[in-house]
Amino acid sequence: MKLHCFQRAFFHSSPSLIPVQLPAPMETHLWYMKPSEVKSESLLKEYLDILSPCERKNVLQMGGEELRKSALLARALVRTTIARYQINSEITPRSLKFRKNIHGKPEVEWQYSDDWHPPSLHFNISHTSSLVACGVTVNSQIGIDVEEKHRSIKHNVLSFARRYFSEHEVQFLAAISDPQVQRMEFIKLWTLKEAYVKALGKGFSGAPFKTFTIRSKSVPEEGFNKLEGSSLKASEIVVDSFDNPTVLTSNWQFLLLELANSHYAAICTEKHGASEGDRNVPVKLTVWKTIPFLEDECVSGTDAVKTICGL
Amino acid sequence: MASLTASSLSFSSVSCSFKPNQVSNLRKASLSFSGKGFPSHRMPALRFRVACAAKPETVNKVVEIVKKQLALPEDRDVNGESKFATLGADSLDTVEIVMGLEEEFGISVEEESAQSITTVQEAADMIEKLLEKK
Repeated sequence: MKLHCFQRAFFHSSPSLIPVQLPAPMETHLWYMKPSEVKSESLLKEYLDILSPCERKNVLQMGGEELRKSALLARALVRTTIARYQINSEITPRSLKFRKNIHGKPEVEWQYSDDWHPPSLHFNISHTSSLVACGVTVNSQIGIDVEEKHRSIKHNVLSFARRYFSEHEVQFLAAISDPQVQRMEFIKLWTLKEAYVKALGKGFSGAPFKTFTIRSKSVPEEGFNKLEGSSLKASEIVVDSFDNPTVLTSNWQFLLLELANSHYAAICTEKHGASEGDRNVPVKLTVWKTIPFLEDECVSGTDAVKTICGL
Repeated sequence: MASLTASSLSFSSVSCSFKPNQVSNLRKASLSFSGKGFPSHRMPALRFRVACAAKPETVNKVVEIVKKQLALPEDRDVNGESKFATLGADSLDTVEIVMGLEEEFGISVEEESAQSITTVQEAADMIEKLLEKK
């Protein structure tokens, strides 16, 4: 389903964005862009135009064209994405204001009026030089992290893991004999850990990497998944925290995806209404590939989005 | 490298011990010259923000490690004030840089400190502080 936005005005009035409904509870939206696909100078200027003066300054300070571009696209993506949800008629990509919470996590600063209460929209961005992503939820904290699948790690993976990861995670990685596979599992684990810390929103010191373990846990499935007597098990990703009691860490659920054949993407969101022992309510994920103001493509269910774990 | 002795500086409420030719013991907050208010003919080589700056050798080593981690060209200008984020370092790069610094200087950096350094200068200052504690 490819939607082309031909409504882009020739006059430089506000270029249009295809509106989208807010995600439902337990639903996550993921929007991503590939900087290499944005070549038009005029489009980049439109993006620069919707940024705040402070954001513009930060973008232009980045060292190098590639870094500037991905920084620009990250801001343009978050502004256009939130504006799409048409929270109210006043909101445009340019009018949105952002601030940081007390721990430094970015959030929208809604312009209140007496008779209007903003929705509990949460977002989180992550970017590499080759992909920029924004996740959106309603009523749920969210953290996302994207990394290139083939990212090189300068250090020995196990040295790195011993230094920064938990013992369980080190053992998991040490058990992998193929160095390529080991490196890729390391990167997946890194994105999951980053996504968790970002979802918590307390900054790195709120949850140092060594203080929690992320691992895959088999979940027995009933019904049609039990084919021909074999116990086909789904697995879910769980987090065990050493500092917090388990009742808190069962509040978080994870998705791990391969995005656009080039990146690992980890999404961590808050679970609501689940108590210990409850079956996991499956999370619905909708993914769009976008070039804001130009084209959007819903890529859920296509090759661009491959679930590794969690859906 | 300018060497500063106690007689040529006045500062308040600082407890520190002076080693000759070393300024790294000084508490950062009490001593910062922008260098602009200082007529250059009066104090030689005081062009940079002194603020108990780490030794240039330390800064240079940090620059070297940063350039290597981020695969920056040799001729790229990276100095004390360079911010990791502006150079394109993400959180994984920052952690790798810190690991590189730990290996180079034989120090151990706490996770919280590792994530809180944002510039080359901060990294160099942290290294010198840790070296002293050894």
